[in-house]
Amino acid sequence: MRYVPKQPREGINVSDTHPLVEAGTLVVGLTAIFMAVVLALVFLVEVALYFIPAEKEAELFRDWLPDDLVTVSPGDARLRQTQLLADRLVFHWGESPYEFRVEIDDSESANAMALPGGLIIVTQGLLDKVESENELAFVLGHELGHYRNRDHIRALGRGIVLSLFFSVATGSDAAGLGLKVSDLALRSFSRKQESRADEFALAMVYTQYGHVNEAWRLFERWEDDESFRELVPYLSTHPQAGDRVDSLEALALRENWPTSGRVTALRW
Amino acid sequence: MEISNTESIPGRRIVEFYGVVTGNTVRAKHIGRDIMAGLKNIVGGELVGYTELLQDSRNEATERMIQQAQSMGANAVVNVRFATSSISQGAAELFAYGTAVKVE
Amino acid sequence: MALRSKLSDMDDGTFQNLNLLLNFGLPLLLLMTAYFIGSMIERTHFRSIRKRESEYHGYPVVSFDTMPDDWKVSDSTMVAGNIVVSLDYFKRVIAGLRSLVGGRLKTYEPLLERARREALLRMTESARRQGYDAIFNVRLETSRLANSRGDGHGTAGVEMLAFGTAVKFASRFSRP
Repeated sequence: MRYVPKQPREGINVSDTHPLVEAGTLVVGLTAIFMAVVLALVFLVEVALYFIPAEKEAELFRDWLPDDLVTVSPGDARLRQTQLLADRLVFHWGESPYEFRVEIDDSESANAMALPGGLIIVTQGLLDKVESENELAFVLGHELGHYRNRDHIRALGRGIVLSLFFSVATGSDAAGLGLKVSDLALRSFSRKQESRADEFALAMVYTQYGHVNEAWRLFERWEDDESFRELVPYLSTHPQAGDRVDSLEALALRENWPTSGRVTALRW
Repeated sequence: MEISNTESIPGRRIVEFYGVVTGNTVRAKHIGRDIMAGLKNIVGGELVGYTELLQDSRNEATERMIQQAQSMGANAVVNVRFATSSISQGAAELFAYGTAVKVE
Repeated sequence: MALRSKLSDMDDGTFQNLNLLLNFGLPLLLLMTAYFIGSMIERTHFRSIRKRESEYHGYPVVSFDTMPDDWKVSDSTMVAGNIVVSLDYFKRVIAGLRSLVGGRLKTYEPLLERARREALLRMTESARRQGYDAIFNVRLETSRLANSRGDGHGTAGVEMLAFGTAVKFASRFSRP
């Protein structure tokens, strides 16, 4: 046999799709699929919520406390006053299925959370920052609003379902992209939830005091104070302080709730 | 195009030989296969999804090798060998190589 | 301190834009850099490969496992050539996405192609340098290098090995 030197044609072992086109198709396609799955899962959580009414939830979580919570002693003056204030506000709600317990988290950053079973957590930091009872009433009313809309359980359900999905489905770099996408989608839900909770809170404050003066002073102070400024306002779960104030002012105007009146001082 | 993993095509004579030709594919499985495989890892048995995947890969690699040989004007590829390796998590490379020849 | 006051001077719109930029723009920038530099390196490599292949045009390299009958050889030895190539960030990310839906990893193909051709070339170069005239029983092997992170994500590199038996023809007249 004779040797005849020859070269094969170029490009047989290489696909002719341009890598950027490939990248673009994949990213767009996968983002679309992820968003669809996220929405489907969220819908599933809503259905599940329907089958777990608030009464059942209150029963299940009645005495629950998260493990990493550092609370103050039950005899603490601020805790007692906050619990009393919460009880008074709940009285206005009427048909609340929960027995609300207030616990104070021994942390310096200002925060308030609504946890399953009627557990309201406020931090020492928050109590340091409020300057009148009206402000505190608004904060508590806001958390009560979340309970009324069952936002906390919704958030829990979504958190569980989505993290389960992502850990099963991926384990690679794609997980990062997926989480970013779902985060973005879910944060817009949360902002609406927050607005609705704000509206409920203002209504509570009005019912309690007959006016809404000073209710949102806390946010106005947040706007000015640098140390409150979060570095990621767009992607945070709360509306911007400025936006909140504007919405609340508009709401008070719409409902004809007076914005002046005697401000109640804190009782500690 | 005839291919064989022996020295030459049985019953034929090689008149010219041209050089090594290769065919190559890298394929990834999709999530569905991954999940099934995960389950099979527990109970044991044939991973049908993967069998099909590698079969398709091998066919494609062979096809590309044949294309290379055709572009050289050969009519057979002899001494064909396959090699598989995992390139990254979830993706396997399969290549086929042989010598392109003309037989009569 | 100065940054703090700068941040508070910015209005909300700018702030949001800056945040978007950091969260999405930075990874994107990294990807694009990896892509452009990677494809430049690839093009250069392919040019070099094609040039060298044309230099070795006429040098027999075959995968027969017995020598053609009309080769009379005086000397033989085993020769090998190898190369380890690394996968750039862009390719890895795209491959990761691709492994969710399955299919051909088109971004890896040029990489493996040039690794293989380079390994064959190096083997041929080594044989010629040592004075041999042809190579037969060529075999190709790929292996994946253990990655430095050790968590199974991505690969540190892929090694391509080509080896065969190089032979020296006994006289000029027995050259095929």
